[in-house]
Amino acid sequence: MIVVKGTLKQRLGAWLLAAFGVLGTFLLIEAYTSAERAADRAYDSLLQAASLTIGEAVQWQGGQPVVEIPAAAFQMLATEQQERVFYTVVDSDGQSVTGNLDAAILETLHHQSSRQSEPVWSFLQYAGASIRVHGRQLKSAGWESVEPLQIWVGHTLSGRESLTQDLFTKALIRFVVMVMLTGLLMLVAIRTALGPVRRLRQLIRQRKADDVSPLNAEVPGELYDMAETLNALFERQREGRNALLRFSADASHQLKTPLAGLQSTSELALQSNQPEDWRQALQTVHDSSERTSRLAGQLLSLSRLRHAEAGSKTQIDLSDLLRKTITEWADRDIAKHHDLGMAALPDAPIYIQGEPWSLHELIGNLIDNALRYTPAGSEITLGLTKQENTVELRIQDNGPGVNPELLDRLHQPFERGGRQDTEGSGLGLAIVNSIVQRHQATLEIHSEPGHGLCVRILFPTLAEET
Amino acid sequence: MARWLWPHFSAFVVTLFLAVSLPPSAAKAQNKTTLEVDAALDLPVVAPLLAAFERAHPEIEVSFQDRSTLEVDERARSASPAPDVVISSAMPWQMARVNDGLAQPLNSDAASEWPSWAKWRNEVFGFTFEPIVTVYRLNLARHMLPPQTHADLHTILNTHQEMLRGRVTTYSPSGSGIGYTLFQQDARYSPRFWDLVAALGAADVQLENSTQKMLEGLTDGRYWVGYNLLGSYAIQWARSHPELIVQIPQDYSLVMMRMAFIHRYAPNPEAARTFMNFLLSADGQQILAGETPLFSVLPDVVGPYTSQRLRDQVGERLYPIPIDASLLAFVDPMRRDVFMNRWRREIRILNP
Repeated sequence: MIVVKGTLKQRLGAWLLAAFGVLGTFLLIEAYTSAERAADRAYDSLLQAASLTIGEAVQWQGGQPVVEIPAAAFQMLATEQQERVFYTVVDSDGQSVTGNLDAAILETLHHQSSRQSEPVWSFLQYAGASIRVHGRQLKSAGWESVEPLQIWVGHTLSGRESLTQDLFTKALIRFVVMVMLTGLLMLVAIRTALGPVRRLRQLIRQRKADDVSPLNAEVPGELYDMAETLNALFERQREGRNALLRFSADASHQLKTPLAGLQSTSELALQSNQPEDWRQALQTVHDSSERTSRLAGQLLSLSRLRHAEAGSKTQIDLSDLLRKTITEWADRDIAKHHDLGMAALPDAPIYIQGEPWSLHELIGNLIDNALRYTPAGSEITLGLTKQENTVELRIQDNGPGVNPELLDRLHQPFERGGRQDTEGSGLGLAIVNSIVQRHQATLEIHSEPGHGLCVRILFPTLAEET
Repeated sequence: MARWLWPHFSAFVVTLFLAVSLPPSAAKAQNKTTLEVDAALDLPVVAPLLAAFERAHPEIEVSFQDRSTLEVDERARSASPAPDVVISSAMPWQMARVNDGLAQPLNSDAASEWPSWAKWRNEVFGFTFEPIVTVYRLNLARHMLPPQTHADLHTILNTHQEMLRGRVTTYSPSGSGIGYTLFQQDARYSPRFWDLVAALGAADVQLENSTQKMLEGLTDGRYWVGYNLLGSYAIQWARSHPELIVQIPQDYSLVMMRMAFIHRYAPNPEAARTFMNFLLSADGQQILAGETPLFSVLPDVVGPYTSQRLRDQVGERLYPIPIDASLLAFVDPMRRDVFMNRWRREIRILNP
């Protein structure tokens, strides 16, 4: 089930947004503070100029400082923005000589600065407004007195604020343009980056349904894994298809042999005039068609097992099923010449999750196999043991066994363990294997030549005993 | 420090009950807002403007208090409740009050369209355009060339010193804020101003505290020449006194502007804004130009008293006292002391 969950554009967009959100916050904070600094530098220099102009106007007359404040100083302080202006000249006793700024406020400000002769820069609240003040000490030489003066100038902040706003707005516009350009580039980049994906999609879409050859495409490194996985998928499909073809070829071959026998037997009988020959031929035809029918039945159940969806599983008492199946088989003709037995079963029922019909088939096939591939008089023993996490179903015979080299192939269809002397179709263990896989169980086959064959099937137990 | 000794220029306080065209609203008088206007501006001069305002806004009753510039300044600083609108011709003091933060900004179309040279911070507005003039008696011309420039005045003071002794009048810089401002501005423009002061001192200049007093003296014949009179009053006075000639100085002529602002703590800020907007509107300026001698600032207003017409007559020699922070220098106490010291020195220098 493919669920569309967002798009790559959305994801990249969200990441971009998050990145710009974090980055942008820092950038804009930085832009604002630097705009503030720039505005302060620009306007502080005007304060400095005004202070110098006032300093130039200081003269000493009769031991008293006389300041004829130049009008230009006020225009410098007021600036283009028409700030409210504040100034005062303070003598060495801390008394205001002239001005409209309260000297008492400046007294504390001046003492705060580390050294008295250092210029002071400060923001403060005064006369209902925030103002920037600058104070410096002036050593002026008079004939009678050389007492230092303090010159304080200040103004309101609207010029600084509007310059800051101006600079910040420009920075903001630059940033927004950058974000938009980056977004645009990102879109182009996404389109370009997704090009190979689109080409790959095109390639896959254009393939014929039965084309399972490996992909032949140029892909970027990031897509190599996906292309490789696709190729692996095609490889598995090819194998599955080959197996299917092999199976149908084998099946046809297996069906063809008895049918050819039937044909030749019936032809021979038709050429004969002897009723005795007819009867014998009919007997052969009967036996052969019985085998063929069994073969067809097994093929049918194998293909059903391989392709049908796993049915609903129920809780089954495996020991009960085993007991019933053995009893059923013991009564059949085919088992007359074998010693079909059962090891001691635990008293308590052994439950597993499974399909009753297929488990029944599984046990039947195991018994049938053992009967067919062992000589008359062999012992066949079935057993069931409960282990910690598994339930082991075991069937052991004391027949000739199988060459160990062939063990791995025994569960493949039409594999008879190198034996041509039986009537077995070679499908029994293949069916068993399919059923084992349906139950998430494991199949183990052990054999030592001359000491019989042991097949063990390990079922997972129920998580919770009932 | 000596306080200003301004006499009450028009020392009466009048509440206007203009009975012009308000008969139906008499019943609603109880609901009227009373707008307190403190002004250093003669009520008879400005009455047409107030009448027009009350016609346009019958819901507002103007209580117009005509005071001296000193009183206006004092009340703006400390009156409680504060006046709504403060109008004064003492430009540096008005500026200082705005700089102190006693004004509130006026954000209106009229305010933003007002010429930038006639306003500051959108808080205080120069709304009149009053040239500073020299006034002389007609018979002066029989004895000498009438002074057309500052230099001419200086010349006749030197050449006809005896004839003019005690017959020259001007503002007292210590008694009048307007006079002080004008002299400061004169001194800024030309260092020869001090020669003129010395010559005035030599001619035993008579210092008056108001244009009105000077005009009366000129009409009486006590004075022959008056220097630095308010053109607005002088021109109107001369219409009914043909023996007086009003001369706008041909070298440079200062222009004084009455400045108005809304007090920060105005009890009726809404009415105050309405009043100010009317004052700055084309309608208000039209009345200033047509019915008062105060001259309109706006260049596109038509009337006998407009800055434009004045410019057409006098040319580019009009020097409005700039409404900017440099005005604050004039109220700096130390600068004032320095100026007054120099004045006292110069006025006696030729007359020991």
